Amino acid sequence: MPEAVPAQLKRAWTTSDPLLSVRGLKTWFPVSSGVLQRTVAHVRAVDGVDLDIKKGETVGLVGESGCGKSTLGRTIIRLLDPTAGTIEFMGEDITHQRGSAMRAHRRELAMIFQDPYASLDPRQTVGDIIGEPLDIHKLARGRERQDRIYELLQVVGMNPRFADRYPHEFSGGQRQRIGIARALAVGPTFIVCDEPISALDVSIQAQIINLLESLQSKFDLTYLFIAHDLSVVKHIANRVAVMYLGKIVEIAPGGQLYRRPRHPYTGSLLSAIPIPDPLIERNRERVILQGDVPSPINPPSGCRFRTRCPRARPDCAESEPPLETFGDEHLAACFHPLD
Amino acid sequence: MAQPLLEVHDLHTVFATKNGDVKAVDGVSLELNPGETLGIVGESGSGKSVTALSVMRLQRPGKIVGGSVIYKGRDLTKVSEGEMREIRGQDIAMIFQDPMTSMNPVFRTGWQVAEPVRMHHGLDRAKAMAVAVSMLGRVGIPTPETRARDYPHQFSGGMRQRAMIAMGLTTTPKVLIADEPTTALDVTIQAQILDLLRHVNRDFGTATILITHNLGVVAGMCERVMVMYAGRVVESGPTVDVFAHPKHPYTWSLLRSIPRLDAERHEPLKPIDGLPPDLIDLPSGCAFHPRCQFKVERCSRDAPLLNRVGETQLAACWVTQSGVELKGA
Amino acid sequence: MIDPGGITQLDLPGAAIEGEARRPAQSYWNESWERLRANRIGVFCGALILILALIAIAAPVFSQFVTHFDPARQHLSDNFRSPGHPYLLGTDELGRDTLTRLIYGGRVTLGVAFLTVALSLTLGTTVGLVAGYYGGWPDDILMRVVDVFLAIPAIFLFILMSILFRPNAITLAAIIASVGWGGVARLVRGEVLSVKQRDFILATRSIGARDLRLIFRHLLPNVLPVLIVAASLGVGQIILIEAALDFLGLGIQPPTASWGNMLTNAESYFFHSGWLVVFPGVTIFVTVLASNLFGNAVRDAFDPRLKAH
Repeated sequence: MPEAVPAQLKRAWTTSDPLLSVRGLKTWFPVSSGVLQRTVAHVRAVDGVDLDIKKGETVGLVGESGCGKSTLGRTIIRLLDPTAGTIEFMGEDITHQRGSAMRAHRRELAMIFQDPYASLDPRQTVGDIIGEPLDIHKLARGRERQDRIYELLQVVGMNPRFADRYPHEFSGGQRQRIGIARALAVGPTFIVCDEPISALDVSIQAQIINLLESLQSKFDLTYLFIAHDLSVVKHIANRVAVMYLGKIVEIAPGGQLYRRPRHPYTGSLLSAIPIPDPLIERNRERVILQGDVPSPINPPSGCRFRTRCPRARPDCAESEPPLETFGDEHLAACFHPLD
Repeated sequence: MAQPLLEVHDLHTVFATKNGDVKAVDGVSLELNPGETLGIVGESGSGKSVTALSVMRLQRPGKIVGGSVIYKGRDLTKVSEGEMREIRGQDIAMIFQDPMTSMNPVFRTGWQVAEPVRMHHGLDRAKAMAVAVSMLGRVGIPTPETRARDYPHQFSGGMRQRAMIAMGLTTTPKVLIADEPTTALDVTIQAQILDLLRHVNRDFGTATILITHNLGVVAGMCERVMVMYAGRVVESGPTVDVFAHPKHPYTWSLLRSIPRLDAERHEPLKPIDGLPPDLIDLPSGCAFHPRCQFKVERCSRDAPLLNRVGETQLAACWVTQSGVELKGA
Repeated sequence: MIDPGGITQLDLPGAAIEGEARRPAQSYWNESWERLRANRIGVFCGALILILALIAIAAPVFSQFVTHFDPARQHLSDNFRSPGHPYLLGTDELGRDTLTRLIYGGRVTLGVAFLTVALSLTLGTTVGLVAGYYGGWPDDILMRVVDVFLAIPAIFLFILMSILFRPNAITLAAIIASVGWGGVARLVRGEVLSVKQRDFILATRSIGARDLRLIFRHLLPNVLPVLIVAASLGVGQIILIEAALDFLGLGIQPPTASWGNMLTNAESYFFHSGWLVVFPGVTIFVTVLASNLFGNAVRDAFDPRLKAH
């Protein structure tokens, strides 16, 4: 395990190195109780994650509620403070950066949020929402600022005339476009997309996915695409990571994960996703898990998935399986993987 | 073929708002046969939930302004509130999307699950609780006697939904209406609940109306499906047929736009252009025509009627009714 | 240069050109304003308070051109006159014109009310914003201070303050505000805590906004509706507090007129010159009622319930 790199150390970085490098990342939230509000336990939302993201790629991050995927996304771009571990962006350790240094990085790291109704300030006009990053980083003023706002609205497929309007006048899909325009305003390199289509109507989801894809090639963006829907991620991601209770249990290049999953959890996730084809659905073999997801405050000993795993054996309780290689960039953490 | 259990004829439900009347349900008809599972699929604003609520006469503040709901020979839109109360929970049960808000947080779960049998079958507390505990066990909740004493917030999402299903089943209703029962649940839990609903349908013979926006769920659960758009039924028929050869451009486009687990990666998605319609200010003629790639001149003038297209399907589309096959790039 | 009114061309496949937004541009404030304007009772009460305030401000003009009396001027031979000419609302035991005193008293009472509201809102909002936004130990310390202030019996504080300072309108406002600000702080803190959770705050942080910007540009405007409601209701509450204090002798001292002390003063003369009680009493009643009704109307108009889509 690499030691924590001293702050502000910037190694020579080239585009063949990962854009983002995360090692041993943990984000724990304290749980207080009692009159004196003492910390009695921790919610181990992210509990030891290693991840490299290469420039230009889309890494899909999937898992169910409580697995820590949103927390991981937010910690990576430092909206949350990590409890342990390191985050390197373009060779620079940003794990504990603050102030103006971190603010400079905010131009490179952006985020798109899940809830189009909550992610825009209802008191601001669309133009101000999109222009705010420009104001904060003093990138443009007056006429130039207006032009940039109009340009951004067009780029996301909206009429620039809408700059004077307020968020509540728009539908979910349109609001999401506004959120995307805001994220693009400063010209970022890396965008965390936190379930950007989950709250949208089905017929609009495809529009937004296509938009994100075309923006990626147009502006050379790198995405961390967080979702709970494996079908969406299959479409858009180069590599997919599956999280369970704070850890990545499997990560593989796109098709590989779906063709030949190794981790039993991935297998059950895949078999649980409904496919819009009655003939396929009726004849599928299903792996239906028993029970509920355990609490992230007190994860099971050894392999965290063993309490629901149909393949669990006694040795699964003894120690945590490490991520092992199963071929080209395909890693899974399981003592008794699927064939 | 046996008589349909539930028939809805040309139902109209309207919500008055300060900007005008919202025609949430705009002429919907359906039939539910004993023991079958009918899917109603649509996006937000399609009117699917309001249709179900109207059947239960729970559509307030909306008003049923036309049509009829026939159950056991009676028109439910015209019976008294007292008679309706007898039917609700006893003959027709409903389960909702979010069990957290559909259950009362201050009462124990077992007590709530037992409430329908207490009310409708007049059982005393002990007997009703016994029925509730047994049903909680049948829906897959472990140690039901202890869990019955827990409050709703002590259950996980999936368990709460099971408790809701138990509550709906204690009176062995003929019809179960499930309004997006798994939308708020994780996908592995969703699989559990859908599996449970399948067993319920098999073991109890309850006819089920499953309302959802997820086409995959419909494909796996429903023998027949009804597609709704802007308060109207645009297509209906056996699920296998509707999915294999959809006869309405909306269904057709929707199927092509959703990312599928079994699709090839990086096949471009073909989204439906445009926005869902404003229910106060619906487009003239066919509500879908502004977004439709097959439209002809008539589509913007006359609203199409639901008619037979192909052998087993009904579709409300001038284009397909005139024999055109839906095909595209 | 892009002409926003012209045809927009898009070169991105699959990104649909969005149609018209629903209805014409309406900010949250405009919408709330319209809702308020549609509420007739609310508008009426608001106008009433406004008119009373205007009359109070223009007191010297009124006394010069309408009533022709000075509020302090005694006409001993004309005392206990019933309403009529030239004393439109009668006179008190010292022959002072009731109407003129009411108008000048309005200056004092309404002045105290508005000033108190302003003070407690300013202090309470600042504390509430800081405590709610930062959390942690600033929150703990500030809220404990608030708890202390809220725990002190108000009367005790009033008596103490009255002994230390001679209560004129300004110090009285400060005294009442010192008791009331705690409630505002709690209210604001609660609102801040709930607004803070919303994604758009996180989103604004993700684009690099600093704390101050978040607090003033994003939190405060979203917390404002709650404040507006509190202010509208507060006016009525403070008028009553002021009247109560006058009754206890802790408020505005005669000969300065305030509605409260006019009422107190008239207590002894209730049986033979009842109107001396009735006029200030009714004025207080009407103003407080108007303030409450207006406050309700404001709450309905700005209610967050209607905010979400």
